[in-house]
Amino acid sequence: MKRLIFSLFTAAAVLSGGLVFAATAADEVTVTDAYARAVPPGQPNSASFMLLSNASTTAHAVVAAESSVSKVSELHTHTMSEGMMKMRQVERIEIPASGMTRLEPGGLHVMLIGLNHDLQPGDEVAITLTFEDGSKRGITAPVRMLQMKKMQQDMGGMEHGRMSQ
Amino acid sequence: MRNALRTAGMLILLVVLAAALVWVVVYWNPEPRQVNQELNIRRAPVGGDFELASYQGPVSLRQFRGKVVALYFGYTQCPDICPTSLGYLSLALSQLSPEELAGFQGLFVSVDPERDTLQRLKDYGEYFNAAILGITGPAEMIDDVVRRYGAAYRKTETGSQMGYIIDHSADTYLIDRKGKLRAVLPHGTAPEEILAALRKLLREE
Repeated sequence: MKRLIFSLFTAAAVLSGGLVFAATAADEVTVTDAYARAVPPGQPNSASFMLLSNASTTAHAVVAAESSVSKVSELHTHTMSEGMMKMRQVERIEIPASGMTRLEPGGLHVMLIGLNHDLQPGDEVAITLTFEDGSKRGITAPVRMLQMKKMQQDMGGMEHGRMSQ
Repeated sequence: MRNALRTAGMLILLVVLAAALVWVVVYWNPEPRQVNQELNIRRAPVGGDFELASYQGPVSLRQFRGKVVALYFGYTQCPDICPTSLGYLSLALSQLSPEELAGFQGLFVSVDPERDTLQRLKDYGEYFNAAILGITGPAEMIDDVVRRYGAAYRKTETGSQMGYIIDHSADTYLIDRKGKLRAVLPHGTAPEEILAALRKLLREE
């Protein structure tokens, strides 16, 4: 009997240990600084930005997004080539183990396509991120115009404009 | 002797032909032909006058002599790049005094005349600042302005739900009170730098 109880106990410990081990990506990735961009009236699309932090030793990835304000949400990025900014859809946004990935203007973002209404400062957008293991995380992104503070810290080191003559 | 010369000549010819073949294989890489008149080759900007359409009727650069003009190429459905550029510009403009602002005109040239109506361009420009006017025109006329200012754009079909998007250059062109192109501010130029560049030109007669 003792042995049986011991076995059960061990099994339970192993199982719960397994559960802890099997923490989902949604548990391990935290989302901060989320916001959606306010758009001019009638604008069909907008974008949402955020900081994804991965505290675990396993790499994770966002593979899909949904939002409360748009028909469709897609993962996109920008690259500069041939002197043009090119926006393209991406399959996934990687968050390295013990690392961070920032979604920001001019780079990775969640595209909100087919807005149900104009996004105005003060509104909130509910966004659900789906991770590579199928786990999901819901976040709330306030709607903002460009943030002066953040922008200065991001852009402080940019080169000056080329002055012709 | 003659045979030797001929052999040498043949050999040289062979080497030259082989080199030519290698050059063709390695370097000759013709661009696929563009169906539309879209510009994807940037040239050195020369600037100059142009006339396009606004909700108020025709607009020419010439009518803004005496003002400092910021010129930008984009499209209103642009989800990120244009709102960022215009957002930074509007932050810079918000720092100008009313007198300084009176000496300024922003021109947002839509490279998407298919979707951007003149009314839509009015609303879009004014959302960022009342001094920003959205203008567009037939593709040939847009292309002429794009070419002269060293900008570039290319309509691109993607698998996205957005429909077509437009890759485009994202520089802001500053034109002085005399109509001369004076500065090209790259995408991401901070508002305070835009402000400094604008003030420099606004101080001139």
